[in-house]
Amino acid sequence: MNRDNGSIIRTEDLKKTYHDSGVDVNAVRGVDFEIHSGEFSAIVGPSGSGKTTLLNLISGLDTPTSGKVWLKGKLLSNMSGRRLSDFRRDHIGFIFQAYNLIPVLTVRENVEYIMMLQGIEKTERHKRVGNMLNQVGLSGMEDRLPPKLSGGQQQRVAIARAMVSRPDLILADEPTANLDSETGSDLIDMMYELNQKTGMAFLFSTHDPMVREKARRVITLKDGRIAENNIKK
Amino acid sequence: MWFDIKLAWRNVLRNKRRTVIAGIAIGIGLACLIFYDGLIIGMEELSIRGSTETFLGEAQIHRKGFLDTWDTALTIRESRKVIDKLKTDSRVQDYSPRTLAMAMISSPAGVNSVQLVGLDPSRERHVTRINDAIMEGAFFEGDNPRDIIIGSELARILQTGLGDRVVITVSMTETGDLVQEMFRISGIYHFSIKEMDQGMALVRLPVAQTMLGIDDRIHEIAVRFTQLQYASRKDLPFWTTYSAHGNEAVSWEDRLPQLKTLFEMTGTFRAVLAFLLIVVVIFGIINTLFMSLYERLFEFGVLRAVGTRPWGIFRLMVAESGSLGVISAIIGVIISLILMGLISLTGIDYRGIEFAGTTFHDLLYPVMRLYQFIIYPAGLLVFTLLVGVYPAAVAARMPVTEATRRSL
Repeated sequence: MNRDNGSIIRTEDLKKTYHDSGVDVNAVRGVDFEIHSGEFSAIVGPSGSGKTTLLNLISGLDTPTSGKVWLKGKLLSNMSGRRLSDFRRDHIGFIFQAYNLIPVLTVRENVEYIMMLQGIEKTERHKRVGNMLNQVGLSGMEDRLPPKLSGGQQQRVAIARAMVSRPDLILADEPTANLDSETGSDLIDMMYELNQKTGMAFLFSTHDPMVREKARRVITLKDGRIAENNIKK
Repeated sequence: MWFDIKLAWRNVLRNKRRTVIAGIAIGIGLACLIFYDGLIIGMEELSIRGSTETFLGEAQIHRKGFLDTWDTALTIRESRKVIDKLKTDSRVQDYSPRTLAMAMISSPAGVNSVQLVGLDPSRERHVTRINDAIMEGAFFEGDNPRDIIIGSELARILQTGLGDRVVITVSMTETGDLVQEMFRISGIYHFSIKEMDQGMALVRLPVAQTMLGIDDRIHEIAVRFTQLQYASRKDLPFWTTYSAHGNEAVSWEDRLPQLKTLFEMTGTFRAVLAFLLIVVVIFGIINTLFMSLYERLFEFGVLRAVGTRPWGIFRLMVAESGSLGVISAIIGVIISLILMGLISLTGIDYRGIEFAGTTFHDLLYPVMRLYQFIIYPAGLLVFTLLVGVYPAAVAARMPVTEATRRSL
């Protein structure tokens, strides 16, 4: 059943319980929320509040104990592992805290990797990589290897990698946590501009007040439950 | 696919020290296998040459039944025609006609039974190395019909030396009458094979034929091929051509089955060694790949998160395993070439040692064959690919959240 209604993500009574050393840990305890297309949103909350688990469930990297997740109107629990991989590839971009670029691939190869998985032809890939690197301010660095770049530059490559395949949603897990405040601020501004320009939805898991400040929607998690779900006018 | 291979190579070369150490460990295993194989072939060829060149020849032609009875009446049928054919056979390098009969040899000091061999010295020296085994005197120099050559052990038993007289007693083929002839020892040979050094006496072919009363008939033709392996190829027309009209052609393998059995045994040892090396290779590769896998667990998680299918991860790991196999194979081939090259310069000296009824006359050299540098490395590569399946399956089936636990 398609439950899109303009939302990019919708969850219904989402729960996740881990069994750790014989003890049940309720990481997410019945979460209902919705993120609309093009939204710049953030999930905030103290460590252990369930932010990472929630992002894992939303992206289909983990399966919920109960409840449902719709991404672009598609119920994730109905998808096979292979289809879920393809769905992630085509609709979700990931930005990780520690950048997590493939160190043996050049900047260009890192960015074009997902497009290769999508079967996009080489000329088109190179064109899109050039444009994307230009947008994140890394023109001329196509042939460098990630270890030769600064942390900020690596995170820019990661942003380019997440966005180049034109997904509907970018999931960013503490993307500024490893950066100094100035670099972090620059990157948040850049992602905000890209969000405004491309209309891709961004969902952050973060402690960063700058992200909270920029986000239109801020979901506050506490002990696996939504404590607040504020939308700025 | 090409991208997988490119990425796999870069990953394998990411930790060069570990890859080189693993490659050397696996490569040494491969080099041992190649070197052992070369040494075994060298030893086999030396053993065969030791047997065939001592006296046997690489093939022999007899009258059917002669080898079972040693009946001197069983001479080769139409021996002239057989010899004419041998002269024109492109696979035959040379041949030597012989008579064979049991006889008694006596000196003033002793008596011994021997196999009296009548031979043509000019042909014999091209087929066997009996000429080279002469330790005293010469191998039928001149044309004295009273010349006889005996082995060193027989000379000791008879307490005779070069120039001494001995008497040969033999039974005539047709009548059974005993015939005695006196000979003078013109040469003493030494093969380090007791049966030969004690049990044979060589005289000129016409003399033996006259004593046996068999005119120009012969009991055996020893054959040397242009290539040794012809003796093992039973599909060649040689065997049927000369196994006709009541004659039979046999190879050294038929005459020395114990040597063939020994070679089969060495083949088993080779298989056991190969198996042990495969085990080493398996653990070497699994260890290296798992180290690499757990070191880059998060990276695999990221690849899966961004949409790489489990099959893509599987392919990547197998490609890494294959890359490691290629590096190991190259290292192994280089080590084996160096090892074989060095041993080929000096050889291994087992000369004079009796082994399975034969004596090594030459230095032992490892034999290089093209297949050793194709089949064995290719086998290694196939094994590395197969072995890579296990860590690849583990990587492919690993839950993404487990791999990416540190972040998303």
